[in-house]
Amino acid sequence: MTFFDYDQAPVPIRPDIAEAHRDYWRKLARPGSWWTGAERVAIAAESRNATTCRLCMARKQALSPESVTGEHDCGDGLPATAVDAAHRVVTDQGRITRRYVENSVAAGLTKEAYVELVGVVVATMSIDEFHRALGMELEPLPTPEPGEISRYRPAVLSEDIGFVPTIPADGAVGNEEGLWPGGRTANVLRALTLVPDALRDWLDLARAQYLSVEGMANMGQDEARSIDRMQMELIAARVSAVNECFY
Amino acid sequence: MLRVSALYNETEVDLRAVNGDAKGAAVGVEFGPELMLFAESLASRDEDLERRRQALLNAAGPAVLVDAAGVAANFQRMVRIADAIGIPVDDRSGEMGRHVRAELDLERFPSAANSVSV
Repeated sequence: MTFFDYDQAPVPIRPDIAEAHRDYWRKLARPGSWWTGAERVAIAAESRNATTCRLCMARKQALSPESVTGEHDCGDGLPATAVDAAHRVVTDQGRITRRYVENSVAAGLTKEAYVELVGVVVATMSIDEFHRALGMELEPLPTPEPGEISRYRPAVLSEDIGFVPTIPADGAVGNEEGLWPGGRTANVLRALTLVPDALRDWLDLARAQYLSVEGMANMGQDEARSIDRMQMELIAARVSAVNECFY
Repeated sequence: MLRVSALYNETEVDLRAVNGDAKGAAVGVEFGPELMLFAESLASRDEDLERRRQALLNAAGPAVLVDAAGVAANFQRMVRIADAIGIPVDDRSGEMGRHVRAELDLERFPSAANSVSV
């Protein structure tokens, strides 16, 4: 099956976007560092289920999400803690706290698994949101591939930012050499580095949907884009504000 | 980054656009109101998305619509990475960032706590 055949799309879509989406779907189906292919696809499915989940809607309206209990509208194949995390990342990410992550760890979701889950949820969501933005149906999820998880953990980690360990600015060495193009990083680039492939996946998608890391340094017009940097940043800022994102 | 890109391009922008002011979005940014309202509808999952998509398409054409959809979708991802991992802003002491955060009253967002505590 050919995924992301945009020939029938309502507007012409750049080939590099289609290729980036296809490339991610291939990676989504494969075993990751801490989740099997079947589990990764199940996480992607939960990123979709979250948007219509009645428990998530009730929690979103509540002063505290913890004050509303119940069961998520969800599929099979994942532990309840993982379902809850996937749904929260989609529907109530602004109220995820250190305590929430630590409670999830106490309930059996390792920090490594949490980070990979976040990576899968947000990558899937960004592709789905591109479709929704253009009025297109969501792409069917890929068939999972069998295989073992790698359990890969970077050699150099620190706990100076965020709720989970991350690779420090000077820690992109060994297998992680070149992880941040140009050698300069930022907290958002470090965020998912407990699972380096999660960062690599989002950089690949960002290169097509937004800009490459190198391109982010160009505040003028990227020749491959029909909108200039100010137009891009207006969109980015409004999306961030609606999501109540301080970062 | 909107302020930085405007400075680079020696263009005046009105940051009230970030909080949804369509008149502000028209200052210095081509198709600013259409782009801002399209992004707003996508992020807020409101019922105006189809209408605002069409308005952007009519005003700016399909290539702009597709690139705008890509950027908006990308930032639906970025905000969730930042908040789900709880990362703080990189340079909280920078003058421009401090000014922009104050102007937009960003401290009202719950995720501001991720930067205050570090």
